[in-house]
Amino acid sequence: MPKMMMRFGSILSVCLLLLASCSEPPQPITISPDDFHNSVDKVTEVMIHDIFSPPVASRIYAYPNVAAYEILASQSDDFSSLAGQISDLEAIPKTDNPNVNYDLAALIAHMDVSKRLIFSEARIGAFQDSLYGIWSKTNDAEFQASKKYGMEVAEHIAAWLDKDNYKQTRTMPKFTVQTEDPSRWQPTPPSYMDGIEPHWNKIRPFLLDSASQFKPLPPPPFSMDKDSDFYKELVEVYDVSQEITKNGDDSEEIEIAQFWDCNPYVSVTRGHLMFATKKITPGAHWIGIAKIATKKADYDVMNTMYTYTHTSMAIADAFISCWDEKYRSNLVRPETLINEHMDDSWQPILQTPPFPEYVSGHSVVSGAASEVLTGIFGDNFSFNDNTEVPYGLPIRNFKSFRLAAAEAAVSRLYGGIHYRAAIDNGLDQGKALGQHFVKTLEMRKN
Amino acid sequence: MNRVLLLVFGLLSLVGCQEKAVLFDSLESEDTGLIFENTITETDDLNIIDYLYFYNGGGVAVGDINVDGLPDIFLSGNQVGNKLYLNKGNFQFEDITEKAGVAGNSTWNTGAVMGDVNGDGLLDIYVCAVVGILGFDGHNELYINNGDDTFTESSAAYGLDHDSYSSNATFLDYDLDGDLDIYLLNHAVHTQESFGKVDLRYKRNYETGDKLLRNDGGTFTDVSEEAGIYGGVNSYGLGLAVSDFNNDGWPDLYIGNDFHEDDYYYINNQDGTFTDQMREYFGHTSRFSMGNDVADVNRDGWPDLISLDMLPEDEKVLKASEGDDNFQILKLRTENYGYHYQYTRNMLFLNQQGYDYTETAPLSGVAATDWSWSALFADFDQDSEQDLFISNGIAKRPNDLDYINFVSNEQIQKKMESTRLMDKEALELMPKGNVPNYIFKGMGNASFSDESERWIQRDSLISGASALADFDGDGDLDIITHNLNRSPIIYANKTDDKANYLKLSLNYNGKNPFGIGTKVFSYHNGIQQYKEMYTVRGFQASSEPIIHFGYGETTKVDSLKIVWPNGTYQVITNVDVNQKLDIQPEGTQPFDYNSLKPSEKTLFEKAENNLYLDFTHEEDPYINFHREKLIPYQVSDRGPATAVGDFNGDGTDDIFFGGSKFKEAQMFMQGDTAFAASPQTIFTENRVTEDIDAVVADFNKDGKNDLFVGTGGGDFSGTSPALLDALYTQSDTTFIASNLLEMFQNASVVAAEDYDGDGDMDLFIGNQTLTNRFGTPGESYFLKNEGGTFQIDPNNAPMSIGMITDAHWVDVTGDGVKDLVVVGEWMSPTLFENVNGTFTQKELGAEPLNGLWQSLTSFDIDSDGDQDLLLGNWGENSKFIASENSPMKMYLYDFDKNGRTETIVATQKNGNYYPLEDFDELTSQLVFLKKKFPDYKSFAGQTIENIFEKGVLSESTLLEVHTLKSGYLKNNAGSFEFVPFDNRLQVSPILSFCTFDFDNDNQKEVLAAGNYFGIKPYHGRLDSFSGALIENENPPVLGHFLGLDLAQKSVRHLNIIEHQGNSYLLVTFNNEKAEVYLIKKP
Repeated sequence: MPKMMMRFGSILSVCLLLLASCSEPPQPITISPDDFHNSVDKVTEVMIHDIFSPPVASRIYAYPNVAAYEILASQSDDFSSLAGQISDLEAIPKTDNPNVNYDLAALIAHMDVSKRLIFSEARIGAFQDSLYGIWSKTNDAEFQASKKYGMEVAEHIAAWLDKDNYKQTRTMPKFTVQTEDPSRWQPTPPSYMDGIEPHWNKIRPFLLDSASQFKPLPPPPFSMDKDSDFYKELVEVYDVSQEITKNGDDSEEIEIAQFWDCNPYVSVTRGHLMFATKKITPGAHWIGIAKIATKKADYDVMNTMYTYTHTSMAIADAFISCWDEKYRSNLVRPETLINEHMDDSWQPILQTPPFPEYVSGHSVVSGAASEVLTGIFGDNFSFNDNTEVPYGLPIRNFKSFRLAAAEAAVSRLYGGIHYRAAIDNGLDQGKALGQHFVKTLEMRKN
Repeated sequence: MNRVLLLVFGLLSLVGCQEKAVLFDSLESEDTGLIFENTITETDDLNIIDYLYFYNGGGVAVGDINVDGLPDIFLSGNQVGNKLYLNKGNFQFEDITEKAGVAGNSTWNTGAVMGDVNGDGLLDIYVCAVVGILGFDGHNELYINNGDDTFTESSAAYGLDHDSYSSNATFLDYDLDGDLDIYLLNHAVHTQESFGKVDLRYKRNYETGDKLLRNDGGTFTDVSEEAGIYGGVNSYGLGLAVSDFNNDGWPDLYIGNDFHEDDYYYINNQDGTFTDQMREYFGHTSRFSMGNDVADVNRDGWPDLISLDMLPEDEKVLKASEGDDNFQILKLRTENYGYHYQYTRNMLFLNQQGYDYTETAPLSGVAATDWSWSALFADFDQDSEQDLFISNGIAKRPNDLDYINFVSNEQIQKKMESTRLMDKEALELMPKGNVPNYIFKGMGNASFSDESERWIQRDSLISGASALADFDGDGDLDIITHNLNRSPIIYANKTDDKANYLKLSLNYNGKNPFGIGTKVFSYHNGIQQYKEMYTVRGFQASSEPIIHFGYGETTKVDSLKIVWPNGTYQVITNVDVNQKLDIQPEGTQPFDYNSLKPSEKTLFEKAENNLYLDFTHEEDPYINFHREKLIPYQVSDRGPATAVGDFNGDGTDDIFFGGSKFKEAQMFMQGDTAFAASPQTIFTENRVTEDIDAVVADFNKDGKNDLFVGTGGGDFSGTSPALLDALYTQSDTTFIASNLLEMFQNASVVAAEDYDGDGDMDLFIGNQTLTNRFGTPGESYFLKNEGGTFQIDPNNAPMSIGMITDAHWVDVTGDGVKDLVVVGEWMSPTLFENVNGTFTQKELGAEPLNGLWQSLTSFDIDSDGDQDLLLGNWGENSKFIASENSPMKMYLYDFDKNGRTETIVATQKNGNYYPLEDFDELTSQLVFLKKKFPDYKSFAGQTIENIFEKGVLSESTLLEVHTLKSGYLKNNAGSFEFVPFDNRLQVSPILSFCTFDFDNDNQKEVLAAGNYFGIKPYHGRLDSFSGALIENENPPVLGHFLGLDLAQKSVRHLNIIEHQGNSYLLVTFNNEKAEVYLIKKP
């Protein structure tokens, strides 16, 4: 064959091949609940890397979920929009583009709002780009239309979340320690970090009318008098810790304490080496439980995002409610008092987190999340909690969300970082807040 | 042809790379025969995680063990055997380890020192070891010199076979009984996870506690406890220096401790005991104290001290490394846990002739030399000034912030948690810390010039222990460094005959043949040099036992005064240079140590019972940095106000002191014998205000003195009534407040003068800056007195010319009318020329003179009949750097678009501008930078232009500082020239001047005082200024020598009070009790 012919021939065949592939009708893009789980998990992963404190993390979970939920609910007869139900949210824009795949648009909005809220954008960007590539190849018209709409909604949500006072609180004064008053919180070993998020009660809640709507009972009055309730609770922390330590690392209590540690930044010093061990936040743990439950219940995309959204908003408001109390009562941690008055070499089993003691964040958040999940899945919904497996911790089985919450709450006593009152009153506060969510919010129509 | 050309090129390029160092040749093992590598082998069970001092390296001891006149070298190995090398001359060394039998038996050797333990005239070797952790076996070993190049390990026989965590030891005769005792330095392995209270140090612990070992005729007894030596679990001893710091003839000790434990300053009580007097003598110390060294660097005959730390100079390392604590943690560590002030940088302490220490490392240019181990002072170029060598480097930087926050977690955390093993690959991710060694040339006046690039070959070594010796016997001092994973280097000094020297070898009595503890003073051309014979210096090392002086071109030394340890001395006169002298006690006479003490002709003494004046200013707990996180310094701690005047009409001086926020002002009336508090209801009512400055005058001309108080504090904002200044007039015998103009400002200065010549006192009110808007000038006012009430002067509009701090009325123009001069921060001194009560603004001085001006007064300093202007600036002893060519810059802008301005301060380094704040501080306010820089590495080394978008910087208001030096504007017939003060006045901000005839010579002098603590820990603590008396253009006399005790306190006002025919100096401090000194009028 002459040269010319050969080249022509090969070009021709390439064209034919292309035509053949183009001529096949494009397949619709299907989005499964797992795609949403992956997106939520990605947010978790980046948050661990970027080191967000528990309250900030709770905010980062909630807004992307709301974005996705609003798109999905707009297409569902069984679900109501949150617009008008939660603070300042207005109805999302609509689209009449027939090519829009709403599940896809919801997922794109979820990823995009997430990306705005974390620091390491490149980490979500890479995840996003690879998915975009696949979808574009599968059905570019559908993808482009869905992306356009998803981004439009993301923009709408971003404008709304931008007004929640987060930016303003970034630049409010640092917390000033009052060392003269022994009842007041002061920084704790090993890093003696500043008290984090002292202005979190100024963040706009999703549903609460104010940060203090579920204000807990005050803690027992501070007193180092041996007969006082406060002192007895202090001694209890010490005694419990001694007892547990005696039983060794394999004791149930230590397992429970470590299982629910959920501290995003534990500073470790080994020899001359310092490093941070990082885990998910308590909010993230309950997001993980929500995932487990939706999978067990074999939920579809709509119900999955409903579960995430409802739970994450309750957790976010729980942090606002809890932090409101923390910097109101401004109570000293057991570690400070035990080192000062009882045992100068005592260390709690868990590292004391850098904010005031009362009330326990785990208790409030677990109370709130467990009530919401019970509202969705019912009581006596048993599950295997494998959330902490990536962090080297075992799976624990729970018969119900409420039992899990009770264990999460008491784990803080075992861990040596909370008094009893912070746990009991915190759990009550969280449950009341969670029930308020269940009763007030209309999401899944009955 | 081609090949030849290539070869030539190759050679040329080699030569090009190897730029010759001008003062030292670097000799490698192949040059010297020192075939020794301190190889560190990491295993799963033994690495930096298991042992915090895994990379500290071994020791080096230098001395002539075979008495052939050439110093030999002993090198200890951590995990490898020790080596002993005989000096064969010409930098050639022969390994005689095997024959000598000194390879050692301990698992992990550390410091190595030579000394004559048994007093036979031969140098023995003492090798420290870490024993008892991680399976480390053995004990400290004592190799007694048999005189035939062999040694016998005899530690047990001498009671020196300690099996603890030793890092070093030194020889000293602390009880002056003639034999050498030993101080053994141990290090803690205690957790750094919590500070623990300071009193941990009182509980002795065998393994970690330091020990004082008394020589009881051939055996050593542990006398630590009875001698008052701390021995707790928290003493991370790395630095060890002996010197007669207080010149009383008895050796004292400075112990440098790593981490949060304080350094110890043990003063010898002359009765076998020591007392730690750290707090009495040092305002602050290095934090992670490592090696140290002692020498008289300012040639005043008193030993000065450097203590090393680990502050990097390189921006890329600096901004990626964990630095100082924040303001609040420092407060907690000092106030709650009881530790002293410690900061992460080298500290140079100038001994103020026994009064206390002035810390000048930033001013002297030696503050940041990265991970520094050994400091050695010596006159390397033999010009009579002490130079300084600093060895440094670390195999891995465990304080790398990316490693701490990001890498470590993902790579090793799980592994360590579950198995406690260390993955070597993960360890590899920790950045290396190979840093070139530093060498500084002494420039006189305690300042140093960095000659690292010129004097020595730039290296990438990790150098630890180092020692000095004249290895080749040519008279100049060479250096040997012990390196990690590498053979040692000898820096061979090439000064040779370019400058003159003298080398002294001491031949002292009996048990101390090398004369440890002997002092030598040298005098030539009116220059005094001073050395003490202590060989254990730097870090884990001992140097050749000689005394070395440099003389430049001088060929004859006028005299040498040798003071022996037993308190006798002899003088040798007319000594030829360039020789080695062997000196033994001859014709000695008792030495009077009192002759070394500064003369006692003081001008001040503390007034008896403080004249019963009981006023303590208590600063309120507001932390300015918590609200305005990026400001360079606070403005909330500038009070209190002080005013002296006759309030009760009895003809005597009474005193008004302002209060801080919520603390009431106080008034004290002078009685016959004492001052008594005179409570005023109105002050209680107005206690909410923070009173910054006040003046006394009879404003309403009712025959009674009134009081004008300027209030501020940088806390109240908007139209808070607490910002309104106050005029207090007298009604009967009580003070009442008059209504004032609505000037909601942070006042900084109130200055009264009848500037319009109408017979009543008018006012100038200087206001510093707006609350929450640091850098934006407040509005300042001329207030005209109209029959006892003030109004804003219609002829002189309010003005916002800068952050005004002080103002002074003086006739600058010589027209007989007082003009106004104001100074402030980020602005230049400004004259307001008074023409018939109307002011015209004028610059003073020819060059741009923006400073952080704090104070001013007028004084004829050059005695030419006109008034010069004395100006107090910030000084040059902090991290601020400014010059006319490279001004310090402050960008004022709403960077984070939160509706409020922030400030970013940047200073110049190697031609670029970098922010002063680290990444964590910057992002505590400017969160958006976390999106731009995902880790510390990407932020570190970025210039200010790279950090912020271009538009942002050009839209910002740019403020500049051209000089930080205090000085005076010299009045040359109406034109002004700025003349900086002597370096001694640049160690702290000068906040107050007071003019008076203090020395009773019918001439006035000016007393200056200052110090300021409202800065972030990154700067250290500006606490070292003891005040100074300025008489004329000659260097001033510091406060210590005048009887004033103003160091470590922050002075706000100096006032003169007359009481019962005597004059007194009243000193008002921030957050301290006010003090009264009698002016003795000799």
